Amino acid sequence: MNMNKIMSGFWFILAMTLNFGFFYGDPTQISEHSAYELFAAIVINLIATFYKLGDKTQLGAVLLATSLVADIQLILASIVWAVSLYGFKDFNVTVAVSIVSLSGGALIANLVSVILFIGDTLKSKR
Amino acid sequence: MQNNQVIWIILKKLRVPFLVLLVTFAISILGMMLIPGMDDKGHIYHLNFFDAFYFVSYMATTIGFGESPYAFTYPQKLWVTVAIYLTVIGWFYAIGTIVALIQDDALKKAIAVNKFSKQVLGLVEDFYIILGYNRITKDIINFASKSNVRFVVIDKNELKIEELVLEDFYPFVPSIVGDATNQYILKLAGINQKNCKGVISLFEDDAKNMQIATICKLLNPKIDLIVKATSQNQIDYFKSLGIRYIQNPFDIIAKRLYLNLCSPYIWLLELWAYGHNLKLEKKDLLPKGKYIICGYGRMGLALEKGLKKAGVEYEVYPIYPKEYLEKKGGVIFGDDEDRENLIKVGIKDSVAVFAATNNDLLNLTILNTAKKLNPDIYTIARENSLEDLTIFQAANFERVYVLEKILAEYTNTIISREMVDIFIKEIRKMENEWGEVIVNMLINIAGINPIYYEVEINEDNAYALSLYLKKMKITLGDIRKSRENRNELLKIVYLLLKRGDKFTLMPHPEEEIKIGDKLLIAGSDEVIEDFEYIVNNIYELEYVLNLKQGG
Repeated sequence: MNMNKIMSGFWFILAMTLNFGFFYGDPTQISEHSAYELFAAIVINLIATFYKLGDKTQLGAVLLATSLVADIQLILASIVWAVSLYGFKDFNVTVAVSIVSLSGGALIANLVSVILFIGDTLKSKR
Repeated sequence: MQNNQVIWIILKKLRVPFLVLLVTFAISILGMMLIPGMDDKGHIYHLNFFDAFYFVSYMATTIGFGESPYAFTYPQKLWVTVAIYLTVIGWFYAIGTIVALIQDDALKKAIAVNKFSKQVLGLVEDFYIILGYNRITKDIINFASKSNVRFVVIDKNELKIEELVLEDFYPFVPSIVGDATNQYILKLAGINQKNCKGVISLFEDDAKNMQIATICKLLNPKIDLIVKATSQNQIDYFKSLGIRYIQNPFDIIAKRLYLNLCSPYIWLLELWAYGHNLKLEKKDLLPKGKYIICGYGRMGLALEKGLKKAGVEYEVYPIYPKEYLEKKGGVIFGDDEDRENLIKVGIKDSVAVFAATNNDLLNLTILNTAKKLNPDIYTIARENSLEDLTIFQAANFERVYVLEKILAEYTNTIISREMVDIFIKEIRKMENEWGEVIVNMLINIAGINPIYYEVEINEDNAYALSLYLKKMKITLGDIRKSRENRNELLKIVYLLLKRGDKFTLMPHPEEEIKIGDKLLIAGSDEVIEDFEYIVNNIYELEYVLNLKQGG
């Protein structure tokens, strides 16, 4: 068992599950999507990203790329939320749907990342 | 791959500080949101994400705009106190790590390597790689800056590289700290690049030169090497590697000595080609008679070779600095025993004495003692390190050989004056009488101190001439006419003509010019300028050739 592997696997999968938790629900009803969950998803995603920094392998580079995509999508979702709520003071269904769909995009990136991670784990002989 | 090196180092080292920053921020923001506050009307409210993020951001960075959006309650203040210590420490830790990273040696090196390889790749002109930065190589760089050759310098010593950077050469000389025997460094320095003309390796340590030559030839078999060798073994080895430019400073001195004794005019021409005055002074000529060589190392042997070839009587006084130091506890020559020894080898009836040891102080004292014993004697010193130059000048010896200077002169000629190099090789084969004629001719036509000028006849360097050469035959004599009055001769001397691989020393005026010819010309500054006008400007050329355009 490799402590490093456990930690990184833990953060990658937690990032994905939290992302899914936020994404799940009726996209037109923002009350079904918790802001706290989005916050947690962003934080865990960033942690997962930092875990992938400095890995020189080909796989490491791809993992970092997917993670960065997820970060951007989630942070964008939170910015859309903040700007529409405090900037334009007009929070409507369109905004809610776009926030949820942005997090959906992040979810796909996280999925790819986890699949790659599992694939790499299966490939290694030990 | 090289570029990524730097980024990877940074990323790897920033992993932990980023994590710390993120976690402390997240905890603080979450706490700020969960703890209830009170607005100005006494209603309970919760900070939202944006408020909390905004507040924590300026709190953690110690900017501190104050409590927002309303004054905090005590429970909030309690949490803020905790959060301050948490985030500020996290923030400083991150900043500290980044600052340390900037000063990190590994990173600095990686950045330097990166910069260097970019600079080398950016060189468009032909360049040479110089191994080791010292006085010789500095002279070479300075000299060649006039021509279109660039240099890349590798030196093991960081101080030397700093010295080079301070020198501020123009055009810029890329430099790197590294071992010259390291393949990786040599590759970085562009040994495999197309425009890399050669490697200059003039280390004092001969074994090192051999090692470097072997590595360089393996890395790039096409490359030219300019390398120093002081023994026949090495010269043979270098030749077997196919190296064209092998420099043996002792051999050069032996040849010069021989030339001076047997054909002084050839010697004068050669020295002139290396940049000395074209004037034979009496004190330049070595006297005829018995010679004494003090010191019997590599230099002593070389001198012996030169004297033997010239058929001059000589006596060797073997003295070795190391042994001398052990025996006498110093290198000040000239006690009673030494004087007796000198007299024994016949200092009183000799005409010249060489001090040829590798110790400057010993050389100085030997010659001073010799002068005391025989005031008329011609003194010749070997000088090993240039720092002592002023002392040697003050000592007023007739001739001083500085190995470093000779090496620099030779290398310069090879690098930036191909024609001069050939000229020197060709004149060595000639007789003294021939030399005398040429010297007199040069002085009569071109003045006491002519400069030389290399030109290739093509559209870039001789526009008008190459235009006319396509239409008609023009000889060297045809364009050697003054542009003020075509009936008068232009005061230049054609020294050498190179056509393909063939050289003609002192080409005849009837010789036809062909496109692609290379010429070596001697003349004064002004006259050379006139020559450039004539070959480039159509009107000047027409006047000189006595052509009338359209009647």
